[in-house]
Amino acid sequence: MTAVRVDSMRIVTLIGKYGFLALGGFLTLLPFYWMAGGSLMTTQEITSRPMDWYPHTPKWNNYEALAEAIPVARMYLNSAIVTASVLVGILFTSSLAGYGFAKFRFPGRDKLFLMVLATMMVPFFVVLIPVLYIVRTFGWVDSYMGLIVPNLVTAFGIFLMRQNMLSIPDELIDAARIDGSSEFGTYWRIVVPLVRPALGALSVITFVFTWNSFLWPLVVLRSRDLFTVPIGLNLLQQYFATEEAIPLQLAGATLSSVPVIAVFAFLQRYFVQGLALTGIKG
Amino acid sequence: MLLGDRLKVRYAQRHVVTGYLFVAPALAFLLLFGVFPIVFAFGISLHNWNMVTPVSEMRFAGADNYSHLILDDSLFRKSLGNTFVFTAANVLIGLGLALSVALLVNTRVKGRTFWRVVYFLPYVTSSVAVAIVWENLYHPFGLLNRLLSLGGIPSQRFLASVDQALPSIIGVSIWHGMGYLVIIFVAGLQNIPLEYYEAAKVDGAGDWSRFRHITMPLLKPTLFFVAVVSTIGSLQIFDLPFLITEGGPIDATETVVLYLYDTAFTFARMGRASAMSFILFVIILVLTIIQIRLFRERE
Repeated sequence: MTAVRVDSMRIVTLIGKYGFLALGGFLTLLPFYWMAGGSLMTTQEITSRPMDWYPHTPKWNNYEALAEAIPVARMYLNSAIVTASVLVGILFTSSLAGYGFAKFRFPGRDKLFLMVLATMMVPFFVVLIPVLYIVRTFGWVDSYMGLIVPNLVTAFGIFLMRQNMLSIPDELIDAARIDGSSEFGTYWRIVVPLVRPALGALSVITFVFTWNSFLWPLVVLRSRDLFTVPIGLNLLQQYFATEEAIPLQLAGATLSSVPVIAVFAFLQRYFVQGLALTGIKG
Repeated sequence: MLLGDRLKVRYAQRHVVTGYLFVAPALAFLLLFGVFPIVFAFGISLHNWNMVTPVSEMRFAGADNYSHLILDDSLFRKSLGNTFVFTAANVLIGLGLALSVALLVNTRVKGRTFWRVVYFLPYVTSSVAVAIVWENLYHPFGLLNRLLSLGGIPSQRFLASVDQALPSIIGVSIWHGMGYLVIIFVAGLQNIPLEYYEAAKVDGAGDWSRFRHITMPLLKPTLFFVAVVSTIGSLQIFDLPFLITEGGPIDATETVVLYLYDTAFTFARMGRASAMSFILFVIILVLTIIQIRLFRERE
């Protein structure tokens, strides 16, 4: 008797558990389905009653129409240039500074590191106007430089690298020095390979956030030639706001999400590790 | 001095210089684009400035920008109210849902990675793509209204309604941000040693009592972290209302950073916008300190 009751209890719990996860998963994925599905529909199909759940004949030329409305290839190129530059910059500056803070002793070190942590607390909107002014002073408004240079360092990156490098044994570094390795050589050949997983995590996070970055490019850019993917999409949303343009907008949204979702799907382990690190020690 | 000691001193000095060299590039950027701008922004907030006239000709305004915002600007108060409502709902509902999902994903469940990826997808999607899709879902003839009509529920106006616009934006925001919270919660749950649960099981503790007496107390640091980060992020909400409703209808979704953006880049009032940013910054700091206190007291 009891065994039967326990079993039916367990079945109810199981159904509840998977039911909740599945319902949540359905609600989470539905907008993605609609984004991709709608990008292949006609406007009539998108708004028809009773509703069409799928495009009856996929309209691939929505994508051709998209490419005619906005310079899609150019937007991808711009986003790729900016993201790659920022990525290289952040990996380099973060690992260099992280090494300096983790493995060297110099006057003011702890105060400087505290300053790094403090800037992590400052919201971007506080510094937005002054940074724009500085960028203008350098003549970098509406240029790659303006998009890239202010983003070459993040306090989070320095913090992440330092935490990871603290656990590298000093003996290993001293041994390299005794073997006649230069300081930079030690960093490059001993330290960097040891923190490769953390660099991977930082790369994936930086990639996703830079690729999706919106407010800063919105403020810095003027000419369409330099528009990154999100800014170009925003243009599409603003100037092609008719019902007929809905499939076009969805096609743009789909296209813009492909790179980040691909990177995330293949490297999700790194991404999850990196974000989890922000929670555990932060 | 012995030769060995002299070598040690020279070695140490060399290390001081090398240490500075390693941190110098990052610190130079951080000073220029992170530290100096804070001081500069505070200076701007005490002036009237349109960013076009040279800095040397900024007109000093004392605390005028601050007093105007706090005493005379009803739109600023409205935007503050909206931002608080948004933050409260986004944090409480988001945390509740994310914790539920994390607890389930962390139990013996089939396809753990699959669920994690599913719930995480929105977080890596750009806010512009998110805005486009959800504007379409909330459309009068959009998917949501058609789903509602299947259940016999009349059409809702969602984004076009003064009462429903902010809740609609909150819904998008929870959907967009939940993946991050789930990841942090799962990481926190996995840090709890399994032996505790086994010991409690031996002592005859049920599911609920194990959750109350083991999971919750040990998850508290994670909960605290998530609450703080989520509050700080929510108070800065800009992208979604900017892209989806532009603050409307009738300012129903106007938020502080959205108002700040318009003040700075539509009306070129840099002083007032900077004052706004400091008021919000102070609110963020105060709320963070309150949260730290609350969590300490419960220890």
